[in-house]
Amino acid sequence: MAVSADRASGAFFLLFGLAMYFYVNPVYIETVDGGNLAPNKVPNIVSIIVAVCGAFLTLKPTAHQVRNPILMVKTGLYVGLLVAGIYAMSWFGFEYVAPILALAIMWMIGERRPLWLGLGVVGMPVLIWFLVTQVLERALP
Amino acid sequence: MVDFATILAGFGDAFTLFNLAFVLFGVVLGQFVGAVPGIGPIMAMAIAIPFTFGLDPLPAIAFLVGVNKGGLVGGAVPAVLMNTPGTPDAAATAMDGYPLAKQGKPLKATKMALFSSITGDTFSDIVLITVSAPLAVLALKMGPIEVVALMIFAFSILAGLTGNSLTKGIIAAGLGLLVASVGQDPENFTPRLIFGYWDVFDGLPLPSVAIGMLAISEILHRMSEAHGNVQSAIVAKDTGNPDDRRVTWLEYWSCRYTMLRGATIGTILGALPGIGSTAAAFMSYAMTKASSKDPGSFGKGNIQGIAASESANSAVVGSNLIPLLTLGIPGSVGAALIISAFMIHGMQPGPLLFENQGRLVYGLFGAMIMANFVNLWVGQVGLRVWVKVVSAPESIIFASAILLCIVGVAMATSGLFGVAIMLIFAVLGYLMTSFGYSLVIFIIAFFLGPRFEKSIAQSLALTNGDLTQVLKSPVAVALLVLSVISVVWFLRKNAQAEQG
Amino acid sequence: MNPKTKLLALGASVMMAFAAPAAASDWKPNGPLTIQIGFGAGGSTDTMGRVLAKVMKENTGWNIVVENKPGGGGVAMFTGLSQRPAKGDLIGMGVSIPVLVQLVNRGDQLLFNIDSFDYLGTVAKAELALVASKDAPFDDLEGLIAYAKAQGTLPVATMAPPQVLMMKQTMAKAGAEFNLVTADGGAEVMKLILGGQVLAGFGSGEHYPYLESGDMKVIAGANQARLSYAPEVKTFIESGIEAYVDPVFFLAMRDGTDPAATEAIAAAIDEATKAPEFAEIVQNAVKGDPLNMGPEGTHQMMVDGLANAKVLFAK
Repeated sequence: MAVSADRASGAFFLLFGLAMYFYVNPVYIETVDGGNLAPNKVPNIVSIIVAVCGAFLTLKPTAHQVRNPILMVKTGLYVGLLVAGIYAMSWFGFEYVAPILALAIMWMIGERRPLWLGLGVVGMPVLIWFLVTQVLERALP
Repeated sequence: MVDFATILAGFGDAFTLFNLAFVLFGVVLGQFVGAVPGIGPIMAMAIAIPFTFGLDPLPAIAFLVGVNKGGLVGGAVPAVLMNTPGTPDAAATAMDGYPLAKQGKPLKATKMALFSSITGDTFSDIVLITVSAPLAVLALKMGPIEVVALMIFAFSILAGLTGNSLTKGIIAAGLGLLVASVGQDPENFTPRLIFGYWDVFDGLPLPSVAIGMLAISEILHRMSEAHGNVQSAIVAKDTGNPDDRRVTWLEYWSCRYTMLRGATIGTILGALPGIGSTAAAFMSYAMTKASSKDPGSFGKGNIQGIAASESANSAVVGSNLIPLLTLGIPGSVGAALIISAFMIHGMQPGPLLFENQGRLVYGLFGAMIMANFVNLWVGQVGLRVWVKVVSAPESIIFASAILLCIVGVAMATSGLFGVAIMLIFAVLGYLMTSFGYSLVIFIIAFFLGPRFEKSIAQSLALTNGDLTQVLKSPVAVALLVLSVISVVWFLRKNAQAEQG
Repeated sequence: MNPKTKLLALGASVMMAFAAPAAASDWKPNGPLTIQIGFGAGGSTDTMGRVLAKVMKENTGWNIVVENKPGGGGVAMFTGLSQRPAKGDLIGMGVSIPVLVQLVNRGDQLLFNIDSFDYLGTVAKAELALVASKDAPFDDLEGLIAYAKAQGTLPVATMAPPQVLMMKQTMAKAGAEFNLVTADGGAEVMKLILGGQVLAGFGSGEHYPYLESGDMKVIAGANQARLSYAPEVKTFIESGIEAYVDPVFFLAMRDGTDPAATEAIAAAIDEATKAPEFAEIVQNAVKGDPLNMGPEGTHQMMVDGLANAKVLFAK
């Protein structure tokens, strides 16, 4: 690869640190009168350190290689699945979404055996439901 | 000073079959709930407290002590068996525990964690029971300036964990500190970097960040690797050699210095409120690795690594009770829950506790001793069950773990908002490991960050911003000198490791 | 239907069967009723809240869950409460003063105001005191000010913005200089005093054991009236500093909650505050008796408190 992983992440942190220092911190941190340690002191110092280290890393990268891009894409799919699942939970509740989410995850991993699918899709959610609402008397999300 | 008759009466109160039953019940519950991914030891305590309302003080306290100690042992289980620590202090245990489990020796790995956890716990219990009063006085002398110095020392030891790039380690720590600064600033209580989300006014919820970063990100990584290929999460190989399924006395004995060091670090840090078990576990781990003749074997299933981490993080929990009982100051979230339970049961921690309620305190100590034995015994059985559980196919393990993490975090943070944050940090954690940034350094910085900043603000207030005042504190100066030495030493070690 | 969808449908129907809500005749919570405490575990609000919940649960049979949601003296919790739908399943418990001070100083940014809630009642009044180690070379606020002037400056521990504002008023009025050290709650204030890092600090109950053991003494009362447990000690007002706080522990729900629900819950709270068991814990926590102002009285207390806070604490 022409661009090593470290150069890429170093450049990212350089920009990130600068963005924090020049834009985010001034806008989203209040200033106060007096006091000993201004609210923006520590975030500002840390932002600068991150930016400097990022720059240094861009100039002197290690030989680190990123994970296999195909694996990262697959992970992205799982993340998308979880986002959808959690979003659905906020609408329909855990009881209805959990079995579907469990089925989707297990299916994607490659599980096809009905017994294990049944355990994961019905058994586990029922067990969680029983423990949380009946034993602990808490509400499910 | 409490007279001997009170001590005897207290222990006498504790050692009854009735109390033993409650200790046993507590330990079983703690080990079980503490081991469930996404729930963990602190949640176990929070869940258990309401159950004690109907009980008399001593059985109630015995039960909670059982849950607390059982949770400690349980907390190491997902870290070792699945590499998905539910609490950051168990992350250090995972570094050698999981590789050992993956080699087909899950029972050996978990048992080593159990034995060293109980060793560290017992050590700090003994310190608590015998010399808590003088230790508490020493802890009082550690003012904000000394705490800042101590935390700098803790950070310096992390240099031993940065691996091949110090720059990346610093970036990881910086990110942790930045994330920790979300919420309110420690001195003026103004909202900071909350972007209009008042839900995070108290900071990003710790369970969301810890479980997202450490557990979910690992599960995401493993799910992507398992794609289309279903196997057991952990296979306990039957090599025919029984030593692969247990910890021999020789192995245990070979870790004695490691455990002693871990227990000492844990006891000292536990007696000082606010530093916590995560720093203790990693300090102990880094020191053990650095002093080892074979540092290259760490991270590949060295039992010394497990012993270092577990003895230290368990010792913290016992000695957390030192400032709690003598001064009424909780040193951690877990300790705050304990003090809350004590007060509900009419026990008033503070200077008069031993005088007014000596019998109850020694009853508590008695319950702690019982709990350590029960923990050992229940652990032997419980660990077998967990090893069996994780030999189920990865598909069901990962799916269940994700559901449990969602429910656990939702319960701990009261809502799906915390779950969404968990997912964000899972993705961040995944990206960080993909690009070679240390998650544990991030997490330690995140956990220590608020206390660090608060202590700096307090020190500046006390010294009027005049940093030369630091020189008046010999403890602070000594710690700062040690920090410089340790950074230099660890960097040279790292450089040597790279060449050799 | 293929086997997977069958399984799925089966799973969903099993879930639905379990999740069917029970029919309600009289008002009672639909599922667990949560009390969120705006402070961390182990403090006086936490202890009183947990025992209150316990007594309410015993009296009513409702399933009551207690959670801690600390931050900003209760502001984090009340913000969350104000953003949740008014389903009658969430109660917030906090202390009046820190919330009122934030409303005065940052009202335009907060997502709630005092009308965002239906008030249920109060449980107790808190007494705030400025305390010092027994060896401190002063016994009252005048002495403290004189000593600070003699020393040039004097470290004092505070734990919340109202106390900082009180000390700043003292500085302005008396011309003395204090180093204000912000501590993480009353327990840490006690640690700083005992460790000798600060010479005085504020306590809202954490100092009682030390008064009893003789390790500490009260320098000044920070309420409008004198402290019930130290009636000989003067207040800030009596020492010429026109500032006081009268924190009240209160409970509230999101406004627009079903009146049947707020009525039933307020009645349950009132019943619980009369229980001897609760009185005992209140005595332990704030050295006073339980005090329930009722829904109307609580609302009035907040309205009056806001007006007062505007005078005392506006920037």
